[in-house]
Amino acid sequence: MTGALRIDGQELPIEAGDTVLSVAARAGIEIPTLCHDPRLGAAGACRSCLVEVAGEPRLSAACTRKAQEGMVVDTQCERVERHRRNLLALYLADHPAARPLSGSSELFDMADRVGAPRDWGRLESRRDQRVDPNHYVHFDAERCILCARCVRYCDEVEAVNAIALAGRGPETTIATADQRSLLDTSCELCGGCIDTCPTGAMSEKVQLLRGAVEDARLEKVRTTCGYCGVGCQVDLNVDRRAGEGGRVVKVTSPEPGSTVNDGNLCVKGRFAYDFLDHEDRLTTPLVRDAGGVLREVSWDEALDRAAEGLLAVKRRHDAHALGFVSSSRCTMEENYLVQKLARAAFGTNNCHQCAAT
Amino acid sequence: MAGLVTTFGAGAMTNAIGEIRDVDFLFVTGSNTTEAHPIIAMEMKRAVRRGATLVVADPRRIWLTGIADRHLQLHPGTDVWLLNAMAHTILEEGLTDKEFIAEHTEGFDALRRSLADYPAEAAEAVTGVPAEDIRWAARRYATTDKAGIYYTLGITEHTHGTDNVHALANLVLMTGHLGRPSTGLNPLRGQNNVQGANDAGASPIFLPGYQRADDPEVIARYERSWGVSLPTEPGLNLNEMMKEVGGRIRGLFVMGEDIVLSEPNVSRLEEGLNRIEFLVLQDIFLNETARYADVILPAAAFAEKEGTFTNSERRVQRVRRAVPPPGQARPDWQILLDLAARCGARWPLDTPAAIYAELVRDTPRFAGLSHERLEAEGGLQWPCPDPGHPGTPFLHEGGLLRGKGLFTPVPYRPSKELADEAYPLVLSTGRTLFHYNAATQTRREPGLHQKQPCAFVQIHPSDAGARGIAAGDTIEVSTRRGRIRATAELTREVKRGCIWMPLHFAEARANLLTNDAGDAVTGTAEYKVCAARVQRVPEVGEGRPPAAGPAR
Repeated sequence: MTGALRIDGQELPIEAGDTVLSVAARAGIEIPTLCHDPRLGAAGACRSCLVEVAGEPRLSAACTRKAQEGMVVDTQCERVERHRRNLLALYLADHPAARPLSGSSELFDMADRVGAPRDWGRLESRRDQRVDPNHYVHFDAERCILCARCVRYCDEVEAVNAIALAGRGPETTIATADQRSLLDTSCELCGGCIDTCPTGAMSEKVQLLRGAVEDARLEKVRTTCGYCGVGCQVDLNVDRRAGEGGRVVKVTSPEPGSTVNDGNLCVKGRFAYDFLDHEDRLTTPLVRDAGGVLREVSWDEALDRAAEGLLAVKRRHDAHALGFVSSSRCTMEENYLVQKLARAAFGTNNCHQCAAT
Repeated sequence: MAGLVTTFGAGAMTNAIGEIRDVDFLFVTGSNTTEAHPIIAMEMKRAVRRGATLVVADPRRIWLTGIADRHLQLHPGTDVWLLNAMAHTILEEGLTDKEFIAEHTEGFDALRRSLADYPAEAAEAVTGVPAEDIRWAARRYATTDKAGIYYTLGITEHTHGTDNVHALANLVLMTGHLGRPSTGLNPLRGQNNVQGANDAGASPIFLPGYQRADDPEVIARYERSWGVSLPTEPGLNLNEMMKEVGGRIRGLFVMGEDIVLSEPNVSRLEEGLNRIEFLVLQDIFLNETARYADVILPAAAFAEKEGTFTNSERRVQRVRRAVPPPGQARPDWQILLDLAARCGARWPLDTPAAIYAELVRDTPRFAGLSHERLEAEGGLQWPCPDPGHPGTPFLHEGGLLRGKGLFTPVPYRPSKELADEAYPLVLSTGRTLFHYNAATQTRREPGLHQKQPCAFVQIHPSDAGARGIAAGDTIEVSTRRGRIRATAELTREVKRGCIWMPLHFAEARANLLTNDAGDAVTGTAEYKVCAARVQRVPEVGEGRPPAAGPAR
């Protein structure tokens, strides 16, 4: 602890590296932010976190302002409230009127919260609106408030620098070098830009193509990603009204700081879930008939055939003529059962998981 | 895995993934982390951004080399030489942790003697890495307090894979880089539940929890617990099993793996599969192996069932059902219980939670874990010996799990098949970011297909030029075991004399080419080194008909 400051009348301790925003967050005092993401360095770009520091003529950005001993901060005074209303009204004047179909709508939520006027007219957009051919990331320049969270994420977290702020003045936008498609850049399609964007300017193209389902209608099921061994926690966003019993329509990461992946996902974890309801999925047990053709059978018949076939091999030879290949893609419980099946039911240690090293 | 069990007493990452951001010296070897473990790579990038030193030892100029302080671009398969030379430097320059060695290890004198033959200057000729780089890396490693080593299949997929792991473990033990946060030896696991499958005993030599399957005391305990008598003969490992298919192995049960796409030297395996008497396959798609199956059981995917996965850092986490399986598909655990019952084994287990409870009952290391706790507390890292134990982020605090860390002298042995006149290139195989293993899932994903639609082979521009190969040409890659066709990608990411290709593409199966020679301990095959040659396939109508090869 390196001293204390007062925020909205509360005496709060300061820790090394603290900003006004981090002290307030620890105390549960909410200061609105748009360009802030705990995974990124502070930018002070969006101006929505301005607060009043006693004795200073100008408002100060809580995200970049170092917490100092004895500081007296007000986050709720009329001057701050008025600033927020004006700021949000200005953002909305340079923004489509409707909420985004897909992606974050933090900007609109905040405008509602602070009671920003919506009648400040509408600026004519001068931004380039091209559509990138990649399958995943859609960028709607009209919704961009140039907070550069996407650009900073691409630099500071994913570190591939595929996108950057480009152009000047009212033409400023987010772009790739030479306006290339993301597919022809260093972009790894991780979708972190979508995840961090507060306005829905960066959004999932798939949602737009298929018809986005509003988040309120989606049920999030927390589980562990099924690809590599990092064990990222993912929220499968399920639309219960789709398919038979529900369909995964989106994958998101839990909050930064809460799980091993710290809010991040890779291209496979975030986007590669279509296989779940692919038409090629096996849906019926199959047994090869005398003619060598696979035909559909009942579970009973298939299981009988499987058991008889394995037992017959054991009878003809011995248990060690059987081999059991288990799977590093399946669960602990299932791997336990395969080795128990090999050892306890058939009597052989010929059992190995597929990724043996 | 076996290498670490022998030397440290536990085959797993010694540290938590979240500790990577605080590491001051990262040694990444045989791991293309940004492609195979993108989220772990983010932590590494964060550490480097903060000022950590990164050294990458890899035959390829992978992405991480772009932000590395040094890239030790060794010739494929010369890892032991490189690592021994680093150890030699540490010893010669007096940078060992004498206290740690005295207190926590055994066998140091034997190691010391064995290292005499591996000076950095001599390493240069064998590995291709400048001696000064080897010495620099060794010094920095030995003298940085928070130093972590990260490796993947580039270390283990060799006939000397266990030797490689031992050589890494020697570096760790001689410098005392163990038992502290952000400091240790970390195998990054390729699949979601490699760690868990090992933990659960899907191994020919270990029952659950790394308890030896040939230890009479362990066997007796499980015989009491399961109420049956258990086999005492050691089982065949996967590599041995695949070689015996059609020979000693006459019947196979395969769950969730496409052996025909994933196992090395697949032509030989397919000959065996033609002779096999019975094969049961349990999977979510019809894969290449399905052609040989007598019974195919449709299984549920990860999003359609309950259970747990254990990640690389030993963290057990819940898997939850979000949607029902399609059609009549069922969770693997249900199928297995029904199959066992029909084979005369009726087990009183009816939920994944109950199965998990039985698993931990006989394994002291996991005894404190349960679905209930995971539900209440989120993921937990083993060892977790009792229900009040908070789990273990980093291993070996205050001493090794094995008691004493074991130094293992490792003489350098060349890879089984080296480049020669007939096959002058060295072929390595691996994964890409945009696909996954047999790619039954990822190749059905349109955006991934768009980004990486077809099989390719990386070749150095000068090797390509010498053979009249231009970027985008179709080339034939052949080894003593088979040949495939793929598109040439000219890149300096590979060294001269080396080519690299991904394993994901069924129409260009890398494993028709790979060598099935296995590591002496684990049986892991030498996917990373075999001798190959390439030639340009003339376009149809370009003078002569295309060479005969497998249909695309």
